[in-house]
Amino acid sequence: MRWRRPVFLGLMLALTPIAAATEEAGISVRDAWVREAPPGMTMTAGYMLLQNKTSRPQVLVAARSSGFETVMIHRTVAKEGMTGMEHAPQIELLPNASLLFAPGGYHLMLLNPKRTLRAGDRVDITLEFRGGLVLPVAYEVRK
Amino acid sequence: MTTVVLAAILGAVLLAAAYRENGSRAILLPDQVMTLFPAPKPLAAFAFTDHENRVFDLSRLKGKWSFLFFGYTHCPDICPTTLATLARAHESIAKSTAGAQDVQFVFISVDPNRDTAGKLRQYVTYFDATFLGVTGDDAQLGKLAGQFGAAYQVEVKPGTENYPVYHTAAVFLVDPRARYHAVFAPPLDAEGISRRFEVLRELEGPKAT
Repeated sequence: MRWRRPVFLGLMLALTPIAAATEEAGISVRDAWVREAPPGMTMTAGYMLLQNKTSRPQVLVAARSSGFETVMIHRTVAKEGMTGMEHAPQIELLPNASLLFAPGGYHLMLLNPKRTLRAGDRVDITLEFRGGLVLPVAYEVRK
Repeated sequence: MTTVVLAAILGAVLLAAAYRENGSRAILLPDQVMTLFPAPKPLAAFAFTDHENRVFDLSRLKGKWSFLFFGYTHCPDICPTTLATLARAHESIAKSTAGAQDVQFVFISVDPNRDTAGKLRQYVTYFDATFLGVTGDDAQLGKLAGQFGAAYQVEVKPGTENYPVYHTAAVFLVDPRARYHAVFAPPLDAEGISRRFEVLRELEGPKAT
């Protein structure tokens, strides 16, 4: 068990520059919210306004949360007059541009919450960008 | 306030203009929100079951204005968004002078495999206690959806609870004589729906009942 501390310290050291880099990178998230799931339903969606304030493109490659079994980046798309969802493996944020995750478009598909989320609760989801940047974001649950 | 009043008047004028044409073709109002059928299309028979396990057939569409939405409960984005919008539209219609006594909202699940009556009850009443959830077998669903040109596709994968479903995101309005009268195209907003509906109901008056 003695190895645990060095590993932990190592992780801390490894993560610190990443967190700092995210701040410097100037990627920010506003109006992050998750829709309260109707009773008995095990899936819902998360929305936000992603802002890339850097002069370089940033690529969102994944989203993770300990609050859900699965988090996927999805997009609601039109297909032959119908609406469906497709997996978006990565999303590029143009330099100095914003991207809206909103109903009917991009959303985080959140599957099997670990606990029942009610309006007013908070749930943390971490956004991961290419190059190793991670951005922890607090989402407000709304009805 | 002035803007709202002007918009309402404009809406009424547009509706009136649309009606004077008296053709059989659909008219998409210039604001792109609602498409009207000057010659509403009578619906043919179908048989569903509602969330209380009662028969839901053509007769249940008579005597009321019905807002229909095709979807499925395992739908994280469009369906809850639309039902929440319709719940707000209902609230607003209920506050109008004519009220919402002659209005019903029906969620039609195209995924009967997962959407049992019990699931539908839990789901639709979460958004609005008066909402109805109905479904039927593929043949019946096809029969009704086809009359609205409402395509849907369910890719059932045996052994998994998660499979993709595609469905139209429009909301269909059926008049009290069970005729397909208008369609609201996404993106939907509650005020846009309720205001146009109130004007339409006023113009149609007893003609539609």
